[in-house]
Amino acid sequence: MEKIVIDPVTRIEGHAKITIDLNDQGKVDDARIHVTQYRGFEKMCEGRPYTEMPALTARTCGICPVSHVISSTKACDELLAVRPPKAARNIRRIVNLAQILQSHALNFYHLSAPDFVYGFDASPEDRNIFKMMQTHPDMAKDGIKLRAFGQKIIAELAGKRIHPEWIVPGGISHQITDEQRDRILSQIPEAMDIAKRTAKYFLNNVHKFQKEIDNLGNFPSLFMGLVNKKGNLEHYDGLLRFVDANGTVIENGLDPKDYKKYIGEAVEEDSFLKSPYYKPMGYPNGMYRVGPLARLNVANRCGTPEADSEFDNFKNINNGKPVLNSFYYHYARIIEIIYCIERIEKMLKDPKTMDTNIRSHADINRKKAVGCSEAPRGTLFHDYEVNDHGIITGVNLIIATGNNNLAMNAGVKQVAQSFITDKSTLTDGNLNRVEAVIRCFDPCLSCSTHALGVVSSRIEVRDHNKQIIDVIKRT
Amino acid sequence: MRIILGYGNDLRGEDAFGVDVIKLLKEHHLKDTILMDLYQLTPELCLELQDAKEIIFIDAGFSSCDQYSLACNLQGEGETKLSHHISPKVIISLLNNVYEKYPKYEIYSMLTDEFDKIDDEKKYKSCVEKIKDELIKDCIL
Repeated sequence: MEKIVIDPVTRIEGHAKITIDLNDQGKVDDARIHVTQYRGFEKMCEGRPYTEMPALTARTCGICPVSHVISSTKACDELLAVRPPKAARNIRRIVNLAQILQSHALNFYHLSAPDFVYGFDASPEDRNIFKMMQTHPDMAKDGIKLRAFGQKIIAELAGKRIHPEWIVPGGISHQITDEQRDRILSQIPEAMDIAKRTAKYFLNNVHKFQKEIDNLGNFPSLFMGLVNKKGNLEHYDGLLRFVDANGTVIENGLDPKDYKKYIGEAVEEDSFLKSPYYKPMGYPNGMYRVGPLARLNVANRCGTPEADSEFDNFKNINNGKPVLNSFYYHYARIIEIIYCIERIEKMLKDPKTMDTNIRSHADINRKKAVGCSEAPRGTLFHDYEVNDHGIITGVNLIIATGNNNLAMNAGVKQVAQSFITDKSTLTDGNLNRVEAVIRCFDPCLSCSTHALGVVSSRIEVRDHNKQIIDVIKRT
Repeated sequence: MRIILGYGNDLRGEDAFGVDVIKLLKEHHLKDTILMDLYQLTPELCLELQDAKEIIFIDAGFSSCDQYSLACNLQGEGETKLSHHISPKVIISLLNNVYEKYPKYEIYSMLTDEFDKIDDEKKYKSCVEKIKDELIKDCIL
């Protein structure tokens, strides 16, 4: 058996290594993604006061700090047994949507677009952001503008673009001003134009990638996400829903605080990334997907006009049933960008958002609490236990990317088996496809394993004796 | 107008080199200069750098030897490295190709292999001071 190792996996967040095992006929026997970094935030937080948790857990990652702050403060609200005032909930929602928007924009325009524009087989020298800048500067500019739109909202309403501090247990610490609201609203039309243009670009070009659509993580699985009372797309509150590959709702209205009844967490020896699974189906059969594709698969509608117009196209992809092709994570991201812009506008125009009552105060009233929200990459759980004095005695985090671990592995194996049929197919383009399936999920390994160090990835090819016969390294 | 941009995480150790230089520079009045401190470089930063005639990046650079040496070039930067945070080279390339802006630029790095603590407080502070002195030489009001 031979083994191919892709190390580092590029254009993702954090360290990862892919191993591809070949059998004695040179065909792919197995392929796996190994997350090779560890930090251990769950242990590090023990002994700290609960009030520090939003700021501490935001430091899990420089990419998704807002998502951690949102889930963490929601867990703290539960410890206090308070419901933040409406204005605070609206501001938190807006900031969370801004985070999702800016993260999706970066994945699409800067991490994944080189594959769409130049094709998966283009030479690595051409398949990168530098080439994009030269040949498609307007597209690069669109990506920058959308990112800036989201980042400025976070800075305006949460204090800082990275590690924001104004979202606090019980609510928020700073009220939005009329000037801030008007400044953000004035940028909505341009942001929406860009988002719609991007959706059009994707739909006009997606036909070029039928092989990738069919083989990059295209398989039956469960899907999980939050939905609101109407069963529509939800990112801040709501209840959990699981659907199967046929669209049958197998669990609905699950309170996130009961997540341990439904989600198990397996650990594999070759990765620091946990492998959550749907408990009733066991491990590993209980594989589910989260994130933009899953959210659109579990939701009845988006609930905003422009996003719903795209949602209709999305639903037509598989005749109303869940879309199983992970390649469509990219389209789902664009639809969510449109949704985020519409929802941000709606909430900014809601007079209740401007209310001066922005924080509820209380002492510790519960010893256990779970905060849950949708991060850009999927459902995020913060589970805390405290003593009488509010000191943290236990933490469990299920990070969005971790939820997708089993599916990412299944995707890597599928794409390797589809494209690497013998040694002559060990081309850079095919190895790029192996990486690309991971980029579909847009994993944030820094978050999900709490990474330390520089971004890098590696692909190793191993023979039937597990001896490495080829290595591709990128930094 | 000149922009001096220090980046790193001030909760870590020598990773905060750029941020610490900016802290010292803020104690001085620098002519026609904007000081920025950031955790990391991101693509949308280009929008704030568009009008700069000169950009100076300050950070801690990895090196397994020569700790506390000072360097100032962009040669060691991988061209294809791209993630949610990016390198000065990508920023400059975005300014050139996307915004057709061609500022002068330099990077001042302190080499280290210890980003999570300060190995030698005296040497570290000396490096911060040296870069600060270099940068204020020509532009005190």
